[in-house]
Amino acid sequence: MAEKVIEAKKKGQKKSSEDYTYVGMVFHRLTRHKLAMVGAFMLIFILLFVFVGPLVWRANPNEQIEGLEGMFNVPSRAHPMGTDDYGRDVLARMFFGGRISLFIGFISAITSTLIGALVGLVAGYYGGWADDLLMRFTDAMLSIPTFPLLIALASVLGKGVWQIILVIVIFGWMVDARLVRGLVLSLKEQEYVEAAHAIGASANRIMWRHLFPNTLAVLIVSTTIGIGGAIIYEASISFLGFGVQAPFASWGNMLQNAQQFIWNSPRLIIYPGLAIFMTVLGFNFFGDGLRDAIDPKLKL
Amino acid sequence: MRDYIIRRVLGMIPLILIVMIVSFGIFSLVPSPFAALSENPRIKKADIQRLKHAWGFDLKWYLRFFKWFSGVIRGDWGPSLLYPGSMARDVIARALPVTVRLMGIEFLVSLVIALPIGIISAVKQYSVTDYVVTVISFLGMSMPSFWLGLMMMMLFSVVLKRPDGITPLLPAGGIITPGLEDASFWVKFGDRAQYLVLPVFVLSFISIGGYARYMRSSMLEVIRQDYIRTARAKGVPERSVVNKHALRNAMIPIVTLVALSMPGIVGGAAITETIFNIPGMGRLIIAAEIKADYPTAMIGLLLISVLVIVFNLVADIVYAWVDPRIKYS
Repeated sequence: MAEKVIEAKKKGQKKSSEDYTYVGMVFHRLTRHKLAMVGAFMLIFILLFVFVGPLVWRANPNEQIEGLEGMFNVPSRAHPMGTDDYGRDVLARMFFGGRISLFIGFISAITSTLIGALVGLVAGYYGGWADDLLMRFTDAMLSIPTFPLLIALASVLGKGVWQIILVIVIFGWMVDARLVRGLVLSLKEQEYVEAAHAIGASANRIMWRHLFPNTLAVLIVSTTIGIGGAIIYEASISFLGFGVQAPFASWGNMLQNAQQFIWNSPRLIIYPGLAIFMTVLGFNFFGDGLRDAIDPKLKL
Repeated sequence: MRDYIIRRVLGMIPLILIVMIVSFGIFSLVPSPFAALSENPRIKKADIQRLKHAWGFDLKWYLRFFKWFSGVIRGDWGPSLLYPGSMARDVIARALPVTVRLMGIEFLVSLVIALPIGIISAVKQYSVTDYVVTVISFLGMSMPSFWLGLMMMMLFSVVLKRPDGITPLLPAGGIITPGLEDASFWVKFGDRAQYLVLPVFVLSFISIGGYARYMRSSMLEVIRQDYIRTARAKGVPERSVVNKHALRNAMIPIVTLVALSMPGIVGGAAITETIFNIPGMGRLIIAAEIKADYPTAMIGLLLISVLVIVFNLVADIVYAWVDPRIKYS
């Protein structure tokens, strides 16, 4: 192996895809995907902004400047992005709001993928009435318009970060369930699953040790794109006033009152919206690149 | 085929039942929808009692479900709280045409733009055009609708003015200028069109990306097939290879796309309608939820869900009809 690499280097050849592990190969293909790299840089920028930003700009996001002079300040040295309708520093709120928005995005996308995977594994592996029951339920959940029910459920559960995550998860697992079920239906016919059966592996072991790892690549892609979707959902719910509540900031609830100030303070709309847009775009670019990178049929 | 359709139609019944139970369940979780009402001094105690009886809140939850269920089946959808004095059915009947007009125009505009774009970027895969289309599609798919709506409103209704320097270039919201209700047809037509420009632009920009990529992948799949290579090999001009041979088969999945978009045309777009103050279905359902008008909200949701289920079936049937390669048994 090592000799082969040295030999290849001598000839001035690049490494061929056979010299990589699976993860290494996906990573290599990913680095050659232009849009994925653009997405990755956007995400790194956003993460730095949100996590390193507050260490540099130490302002309290909830501190209000009293009096009329404190409100709607234009950007200045004291407030690089100005102040909002309560006289709070917008830059500091952007940092902490971003942390909450990203947190909600990550946790709800990962949780709904795992729940979808569980439903899909059980339905695909057992088949029969379990499959019928679970898939009919999935179909029914898919046919209900998501957004109005998100609002209804959010108003029932109360308004907090964890409640929003729960709401997004309840209406977010169905697509993954269908995806995993489809994969499992074809995977479970393969020889290695039969071999596992033959040596007496339990259903649980086959599902989680043999089938689940083989769906992982697809699930990682769907989670990546799901994070962007969850961030938009959070923002939309918060925009309508059912999401994260004051004093906590999120990019969505920073826009909640902004429509009233469209005439005198458009900055308050531009900044948080741009942050949401860039983050979601980053996740979509990266997720799409990842999908291409794990697809062995595609040449990159 | 007939057996297949019968089986699928029967299969819709449990699906619709689950949808009804889920939407009923969520609205039943609300501790007391009458709390807000009893605080309002203008509503009499006796009226609240009557409402409780009318909605079945004096019954156990499962009996209440059956009461609601039988009401829905019989077409008695209950009173609306959002617009006191109206029935939920009339409220929905008023919102429906507004939404269908907005979403119908939006859907046509999106298709007319997205399909050619998708075809071009598939035929010229990996060209500059393809890259530009891909990037613009992603921009649309990643754009929060409310933000794009607010930005457009800011640009066209606040910053840009008409030549007279006072009136904004496009109205910021609503569907018609007050006072023009009795004007002639063409005046009304022009007036309504102005109000539609911004919402249609916002909704189309967001959906075009998805449609274009769908068309692109459908076209790519067809173009790789052997019969296309045969057509090229026997010297058919490229133009007619694309337009005659490839396009016909690539359009088949678009049938599904159109069928599956129909429920959305009735359901409306909650956020865009809210921002642009359009009294359509989307805004109605959200407003009904906020004001605890559960009969209207539940019926609205149920209507859209049933349409989704029905049009899923329609999509499958039409697909088999236009594509003889597909056989259901």
